[in-house]
Amino acid sequence: MNNKKPPLLMRDIVINRIFEAAKNDKDILFISADLGAAALDDFRDKLPDQFIHAGISEQNMVDLASGLALSGKKVFLYAMAPFLTARCYEQIKCVIASMNLPVTLIAVGVGLGYDHATLTHFTPEDIACMRALNGIEILTPGDAEAAKKIADVAIMDPDFRYIRLDRQGLEPAYDGGFEAVYDRGFGHIADGKNIVIITCGVLLQKALLAREILGEKGVNAGVVDLFRIKPIDGKSLADLLSDYDAIVTVEEQSLEGGMGSAVLEVAADHNILKPVRRLGMRDGYAVINGDRDSLHELYEIDTLHIVGAALGLAERF
Amino acid sequence: MALNDLEAKASWLRQELFKMAMRQKKGHIPSSFSCTEILIALYYGGIAKITRGQPEDPNRDRVIVSKGHAAMSQYPILADYDFFPKEELERFTQKDGLLGMYADFRIPGIEGVSGSLGHGVGMGAGFAMAARQDNNFYNTFVIVGDGECYEGSIWESAMFAAHRKLDNLIVIVDRNELCIMGKTEELLELGDLENKWRSFGWHSCSVDGHSFDELMPALNLVGKTDKKPLAIIANTVKGKGVSFMEGRSEWHNRMPSDKQIIEARMELGIEL
Repeated sequence: MNNKKPPLLMRDIVINRIFEAAKNDKDILFISADLGAAALDDFRDKLPDQFIHAGISEQNMVDLASGLALSGKKVFLYAMAPFLTARCYEQIKCVIASMNLPVTLIAVGVGLGYDHATLTHFTPEDIACMRALNGIEILTPGDAEAAKKIADVAIMDPDFRYIRLDRQGLEPAYDGGFEAVYDRGFGHIADGKNIVIITCGVLLQKALLAREILGEKGVNAGVVDLFRIKPIDGKSLADLLSDYDAIVTVEEQSLEGGMGSAVLEVAADHNILKPVRRLGMRDGYAVINGDRDSLHELYEIDTLHIVGAALGLAERF
Repeated sequence: MALNDLEAKASWLRQELFKMAMRQKKGHIPSSFSCTEILIALYYGGIAKITRGQPEDPNRDRVIVSKGHAAMSQYPILADYDFFPKEELERFTQKDGLLGMYADFRIPGIEGVSGSLGHGVGMGAGFAMAARQDNNFYNTFVIVGDGECYEGSIWESAMFAAHRKLDNLIVIVDRNELCIMGKTEELLELGDLENKWRSFGWHSCSVDGHSFDELMPALNLVGKTDKKPLAIIANTVKGKGVSFMEGRSEWHNRMPSDKQIIEARMELGIEL
């Protein structure tokens, strides 16, 4: 029997930080489009003047945020990932990005987080569409430690940010080391030599497991948590890539414009020419019922396929 | 300002706008002419509390022209308020000019970016909520087009503002019954907008949007609406003041010929 306590939900970690800060700063406003959280119940109860229910009206929520931010408020918008991104994309572009307003978008359930909800709740496009926005910073915390730090930055230094939270709690990926890598935007969470596996969020643990298996097969793989998708510190990432023979990227995102694309852009801009395999959602993907693990298997972004991709590349050396 | 003076000021604004548009052959004249009296009532009728030369005054009333294609209609007024040099009007849409086709929040006196429809009411609700929270007493006026009321976001925000009892938020619908492709009631009926806003919990009334006799009393309802936000349906004529443009959708973004420019100048009272 497994007595291990499941990790705290990412949303609760982030909301608790904002709640604590909001107690001493009445300019902090938290707006939800009808997505709750255990931590939010406390927030609503104790700070009713700083919690706003926008209705299931993401367009209104974003327009409202612009007026509040222009009035000096520190605004946090909170909704399920599909509805806080593509659903109100035009609003974000026109009234937040255009004026570079300090509004934090907190999305829950990125990628395939709402596994059983399927098509409408998946966001294979959220990185591609959001990173095209002018001036946005995009962050994907890969564990509780990262989530806390990212929440604290959003509180202390309000800016136009998109924080991509996994629906579930994530196992620790950093052992007190996140703070040190925050500015650089990625964590080299496991060293290697031959192949570097680049991912973020929920797939970190699968990448780490793949690394173990690869080690047993004589392939020395490293794992990178690319938690800041935009802006990327290209020079630092290029330096890291140049230390490896080949690159595997894996994501719950469309291969067109997702994280893997962003890595390729950095590599190209820095004249890094290495063999690459990108794992992600391929155009025409099928939709089935099933939990997240089975979806990862179906879309060939699970541990086995990461191992397979890395072995395929390793054969070349 | 007396009613006569407001009328004179409205003529002045139309003249300034026409001259601005003709310099570069750019701008949306008919859309600006349909909301001319509305803006004059706000800025010169003692309704919007805005101080000359102080665009950043935290206590200023906020005026948002949400129908961004009429953004230019605010520019001569803002220059007249000494928010920026009048010479900027001559550089409208020019490379090094301050004033663009659509409003940019960097222009003193402009509260937010415009151009895409359906954002002003929600943005205005944000200003209104912030005022409430900060115990500030400014009002937020939002001018929306009737065609803009097709946007669903308008109604999301309308519902929100009424629920939050934002009686410091005032929406003025420029009901000129035209959009780019024709008459609203023929293309997709907007119907009884006064009742639509009322049914969303707003205090709502209809006026002749070119009559100060009707606009002023309606705007003086601000703060007397039993905690409801106020929606004024201003029935207007698109292109008002230039007879060949009046009520004709094809003039939305068209520029007059040399002969028509002379006709228009005569009608508007611009020296030839």
